[in-house]
Amino acid sequence: MAQRRKRGRKKSRAKKLQRRSFWLPILAMLAVFLTVYIAYLDFQVRQQFDGKRWSLPARVYARPLELYAGLPLTPDALDMELTSLHYQPVSSPRRPGEVSRNRNVFHLITRRFVYWDGEEASRDIRVSLSNGVIERVTHVASGKDASLVRLDPVLVGSFYPSHNEDRVLVKLEDVPPPLVNALIAVEDHGFYSHHGIAPLSIMRALWANIRAREVVQGGSTLTQQLVKNFFLSSERTLTRKVNEAIMALLLEWHYEKDEILEAYLNEVYLGQDGNRSIHGFGLASHFYFERPLSELSVDQFALLVGLVKGPSYYNPRTHPDRATRRRNFVLDVMVEQGVISRDEASRAKSRGLGVSRAMNKAIDTFPAFLDMVRRQLRRDYREEDITSEGLRIFTTLDPQVQWQFEKALDKRLGILERNHSMPGGTLEGAGVVTTIQGGEVLAVAGSRKPGFSGFNRALDANRQVGSVIKPAVYLTALEHPEHYTLATLLDDGPLTYTAPNRTTWSPNNYDRQFHGMTPLYLALANSYNVATARLGLDVGIKPVIATLHDLGIDQPLNAYPSLVLGAVELSPMQVTQMYQTIASGGFQTPLRAIRAVLAADGAPLQSYPLRVEAAINPDAAYLVTTALRYASRVGTGRSLYQVLPSDMDIAGKTGTTDDMRDSWYAGYTGDRLAVVWVGRDDNKSSGLSGSSGALLVWRDLFARLGASGSLQSDVEGIEYFRIDPATGLRAEQGCENGVELPFIKGSEPVADAPCAKHGLPLQKPVDWFKELFQ
Amino acid sequence: MIPIPYSRIACLALFVIVSGTACTTATYHRTPSPVIEQGVPASERPAVSSEAPRPGGYQEEPPGVQVYPAPRQQPAAVVALLDHAEQQANNGDLPAAAMTLERAIRIDSRNPVLWHHLASVRLAEGDAIQAEQLAKKSNALAAGNYALQARNWDLIAEARRTRGDASGAQSAEQQKRALQTR
Repeated sequence: MAQRRKRGRKKSRAKKLQRRSFWLPILAMLAVFLTVYIAYLDFQVRQQFDGKRWSLPARVYARPLELYAGLPLTPDALDMELTSLHYQPVSSPRRPGEVSRNRNVFHLITRRFVYWDGEEASRDIRVSLSNGVIERVTHVASGKDASLVRLDPVLVGSFYPSHNEDRVLVKLEDVPPPLVNALIAVEDHGFYSHHGIAPLSIMRALWANIRAREVVQGGSTLTQQLVKNFFLSSERTLTRKVNEAIMALLLEWHYEKDEILEAYLNEVYLGQDGNRSIHGFGLASHFYFERPLSELSVDQFALLVGLVKGPSYYNPRTHPDRATRRRNFVLDVMVEQGVISRDEASRAKSRGLGVSRAMNKAIDTFPAFLDMVRRQLRRDYREEDITSEGLRIFTTLDPQVQWQFEKALDKRLGILERNHSMPGGTLEGAGVVTTIQGGEVLAVAGSRKPGFSGFNRALDANRQVGSVIKPAVYLTALEHPEHYTLATLLDDGPLTYTAPNRTTWSPNNYDRQFHGMTPLYLALANSYNVATARLGLDVGIKPVIATLHDLGIDQPLNAYPSLVLGAVELSPMQVTQMYQTIASGGFQTPLRAIRAVLAADGAPLQSYPLRVEAAINPDAAYLVTTALRYASRVGTGRSLYQVLPSDMDIAGKTGTTDDMRDSWYAGYTGDRLAVVWVGRDDNKSSGLSGSSGALLVWRDLFARLGASGSLQSDVEGIEYFRIDPATGLRAEQGCENGVELPFIKGSEPVADAPCAKHGLPLQKPVDWFKELFQ
Repeated sequence: MIPIPYSRIACLALFVIVSGTACTTATYHRTPSPVIEQGVPASERPAVSSEAPRPGGYQEEPPGVQVYPAPRQQPAAVVALLDHAEQQANNGDLPAAAMTLERAIRIDSRNPVLWHHLASVRLAEGDAIQAEQLAKKSNALAAGNYALQARNWDLIAEARRTRGDASGAQSAEQQKRALQTR
């Protein structure tokens, strides 16, 4: 249109003498219009280029796997991690991202990666594993031990803007020269000499197309193509062509060739993945080959360059023959232009396409975890910044734990449905796995269906917790060592409580029996309701609520007596926070899903530092953990050891609600805590107790995960004494059923039980020492 | 607002990190023994990531018994990270030192020395509240290691002074002195 106006301007000049008075204002108006229009295009061009050029989705990474001697890790787990990082199995690794495995010895070259705390260089290492731990990590070149090597992290998801454009930005200097050369050779031979448009190359393209009897080249320069991708819609009109030409000239006028080339490399449309469009070579490399651009070979570059002409027509996944022909054509052009030798080309042509199987990374793999990440991010960022600023989000997710959790949950619920004659899909489940001391969330299951991105039960399902709440009652009591110890006898006889408003409450035990006088640790281990209710009433409901708040339950709680038996609704995540505080010895660490957030350029934006707060008395927490270990060994959780090795040390608590609507298990080992809920979305009875439902999921999970580290550290204020459980008094060396129980110093009973005997040789400890040093 | 003596805190923190001892004369910096021991006699060294198991008496599987082989040696990875954190703190890059210490804590989360160093870095950064909490956490894991406990109480005293809590600082000092006489 602008050109037509230019022509019009010449004509008007010819007639200016005759029609001066008529044409002059029109001419002036046209000139003004043209100037304004070009200025407008110029503004657009510069705005796009100087300002933020692309909205980049946020990238969400799992925790990086740290390799060091002593790390508990099986060869298969390492294999799985490397597979999800798309390391290529080769016979002898030469480049980053390649690995060879010889049984329990891995040789790999790690990828360079920039973390929030600095760069992790690429390393050529050998990792030897035995008996479920890494035995050695050595540098291949020097043979010396490597103390610590961090792999690159698995990309677990992206937060896209609403228009679903995706990109992996590349810098020109990081793009392998063969790719750039191939691109210029095929798409715009004269790129470095033209000024944005190249009439000659249009002719050349025409000639090439006639020669090949199909459209093998387009006449547009890279600059024009960029403009087309960048600024304009895909309508095919003359107006657009003219605008494209003007903008191409303006672009060339303002910017260097290399800047334009870099923009092109990142902008060009190269494929479609569901509703996600694949822009730029950086993302295309991941999309088609699951590897970064720097790890591709020349035939793969040729394939990508060939795609520029028609990503769907030449789609290597759906039209491998067309794609192969196109790739080979690109290789021929590369030979013609002297980019590669004839030998290289024929070797490259002999290779298969090497495209990975269709993947759908647009669907996030772990939606429940990502949901939690997104919620934590929303506290610090605006929604549009999360989806468009190219944030790099480093999370605490452990993909291995997450996969195992999903597997354990779905499989076990299927078994439960079959065993209880329920139709498939009746049961739902959710849960959370965290580290204990650091409060890092390793896995979140929001549903039994992996990949289900709907209702996130781990965060949003508030369900009655039942006995899972009991440790808070015992903790409240044990914080008063002058009144309560693990050996204190509690009354589990019939109880009727009359409230001030004259309503009565008569709690019952799960087995509908009363158990008489029971030592406190066994009342918790066996989850006796009546003894617990009496204890709760003795210590007071309000102090129990205060303890729950100390443990990290933020929501307001009503001071009803039934609270002490769990008549309160909490989400699995809240229950996890509560148990994290107990498991870590009384130090609350707010559960974190994010370690750090970096800007697109790698600048640290936000770190989520490890914070602790001494929330409850560490000695009392120690005692509760001891009672919860008894729950696993002899109490409600003892079916754990039907499957798990007896040397796995577990503290945990079951929870069952009225009519068996909810089945809970919260349990921890030396290094990990997991909370599992099982029930029905319609809140009907599932017929499952804590130990016949959620506990089995937990058990399956930890059978897969294993455990390491000790459950309890020494605590300064604790001393052990041998106690007769029947009387709660000192057993010394007597009493057949005597148990060693921890006491807060000075709170131990002084009186001897009738069965106590003094002065006998200490048989048990001697045995125990033998066992320890075997 | 109470003026915060940043330079003094920084000096103290660096001193703690570099010499590893704010209250004893022994140093660990560049000594042949592992960095982690930082002047604490080996006999007093806390059983890192290990538990002195308890004799149990209940049935065949007493809960107190932990038969996992406890690592007797500091993982080399932790020593390397601690070394790195020390360098970063020496160069004045406290945020980086904190990140490195957090990384070490992920590997060896019951190591009270790591928590102590993180506390000193936070104090140097001016976060007296976290410094105190982290020092308490270190103490909770440092059973039997009176030297380290004393240093933690010293740090808590300093943190409280920073916040203008003179009487709290005094009681922390008392805790420290009680430990030093043990």
